[in-house]
Amino acid sequence: MVDSRAIQRIDKYLYEIDASFRADMRVPARLYTDPELLEHALGDASVDQLVNTATLPGVVKYVLAMPDIHQGYGFPIGGVVATRLPDGIISPGGVGYDINCGVRLLGTHISEEEVRPYLDELATAIYKNCPSGVGKGGEIKLKTGELDRVLEEGSRWAKARGFATDEDLERTEVGGCLEGADAGAVSAKAKERGHDQVGTLGAGNHFIEVDIVRDIYDEEAAQRFGLFAGQIAVQIHCGSRGLGHQVCTDYVQRFQQAVQKYGIHLPDRELVCAPLNSPDGQAYLAAMKAAANYAFANRQVLAHHVRRAFEEALSGKVRNPYVFQVYDVGHNMAKIEQHEVDGERITLCVHRKGATRAFGPYHPDIPSAYRDVGQPVLVPGSMGTASWVLRGTEEAMRQTFGSTCHGAGRAMSRTQAKKKVWGGELREQLEGQGIRVRAGSMSGLAEEAPSAYKDVDRVVEVMHGSGIATKVARLVPIAIIKG
Amino acid sequence: MKGFEEVEHTADIALRVRGRDLPELLVNAALGLGTLLTDHTDMPAKAIQTRQVEVEAFDPESLLVGWLSELIYWAEKDRFVCHAVEVQEVSSTHLKATCIGSCVPELRHHIKAVTYHNLQIIQTDQGLETTVVFDV
Repeated sequence: MVDSRAIQRIDKYLYEIDASFRADMRVPARLYTDPELLEHALGDASVDQLVNTATLPGVVKYVLAMPDIHQGYGFPIGGVVATRLPDGIISPGGVGYDINCGVRLLGTHISEEEVRPYLDELATAIYKNCPSGVGKGGEIKLKTGELDRVLEEGSRWAKARGFATDEDLERTEVGGCLEGADAGAVSAKAKERGHDQVGTLGAGNHFIEVDIVRDIYDEEAAQRFGLFAGQIAVQIHCGSRGLGHQVCTDYVQRFQQAVQKYGIHLPDRELVCAPLNSPDGQAYLAAMKAAANYAFANRQVLAHHVRRAFEEALSGKVRNPYVFQVYDVGHNMAKIEQHEVDGERITLCVHRKGATRAFGPYHPDIPSAYRDVGQPVLVPGSMGTASWVLRGTEEAMRQTFGSTCHGAGRAMSRTQAKKKVWGGELREQLEGQGIRVRAGSMSGLAEEAPSAYKDVDRVVEVMHGSGIATKVARLVPIAIIKG
Repeated sequence: MKGFEEVEHTADIALRVRGRDLPELLVNAALGLGTLLTDHTDMPAKAIQTRQVEVEAFDPESLLVGWLSELIYWAEKDRFVCHAVEVQEVSSTHLKATCIGSCVPELRHHIKAVTYHNLQIIQTDQGLETTVVFDV
């Protein structure tokens, strides 16, 4: 176990574990955190898991933990690991089972006062329009071969089917489609799990939330993102559903033997990986991209359903029920990107597991409308608490391979949460705060109780204070929809 | 000796599984997963189905993961949950079994996958023991 003596504070919010801490570490491990959050992190195995990732072949500079780090399996949640091409590794466990789990933020021209009288209708309309729950299928029936198009075209498929606008795609990470996705690298089982789940929310920590933009911290960026105080906004948090889970399962299983073939020794079998330039590495990359595209398409169809719900519930009651896209960004992905390492610009595979891309101003991958202010970063809080919109910075490019935190980060196990909180009681509590709740399962609700998570404001403060991603707006929920 | 029990894990669900030998460990793991998936253990007799499964792997741990992954796949596909298992053939890399179970009205947990996180089947005085972490 890593104890606090092995961790050096090197800046106000930055800590480091030297590469000499363990003989098998290839690079140091860095943590963006504060004393209280660090104590949380040391309370479970997350820092040990971070150290394990520093042993991976081809890893460069340092491995990173964001302030919302918590224990995962193999990689910690809230970790960033960059490996060098061509022979550095790619690891399915470094992306996670929910490939391209992410957040989409939608904006409106509706004010809080306008929506208050119709909030019940709106919450119900979203719940009805957006299928949720364990293994639940949706209304989109894909024709033979159409799933392959979803996998290879992502949101472009959604646009062709009339579920997206040009602006939606422009305001999605990589335009909602990762090039090089190969449906042929995705197993029949994965496709079977995914064929009827496009446009569904699923269960667990995934949700749709209606929010009010409560505070603006950066007028210029907020204006550019189309956000203003008192505005109604919507967050969609979900990923690639059963299809992504099966892709990860398949490749973690396949790579168990691949590591032996490539002579890679690992401290934990969940860290299995393959060199990027190997047939195994290439196959996983192509399959992961396909699952990521599925997730982009999934959030896009959900956004379409949300638009329909706004029309149904608010048409004729508010001045303008139109819902526009602010941004969509994933937080479980491995991306091939260019970054500067030791004064040299090189191509890396950046694994972000429970970490969000946060590119700084003028990066070509940022939508043109936002290019000079930096990429919008979406950080959902735990249920019933605040969420944040941040913007990426130059500092993120220099220090964190353009990455930041992804949420509050779990502090209590699901079982513990359920022992302490009863779903019905929690619902009453949230309703008492004026938050409408539409949930399929009460025990599922209890598992996601806010007290089971770290304080998102504190997490964001660390990123803001380190200059990695700075505050733009703070959102508070008024309706929560989950499976 | 208890065949399985749920243990604490921050983000996910973990099961400690025991068995006198590998076949019993594999069966207990499946039954443990069944209790995580559903509370509906007493389905009417006419709802009972049997399904054949065959898993190939390269060591006992990958056999365990492959086997549980198959059950997770069925749970998501048509909410099939296994309540009993008859093992026909087993070695450290191969399993052929019949699963007896039913398609339940709803699932208690959404289990995304079974992980290899710190997965090791160890020998104890009573037989074999392992802890399996599920991603939920």
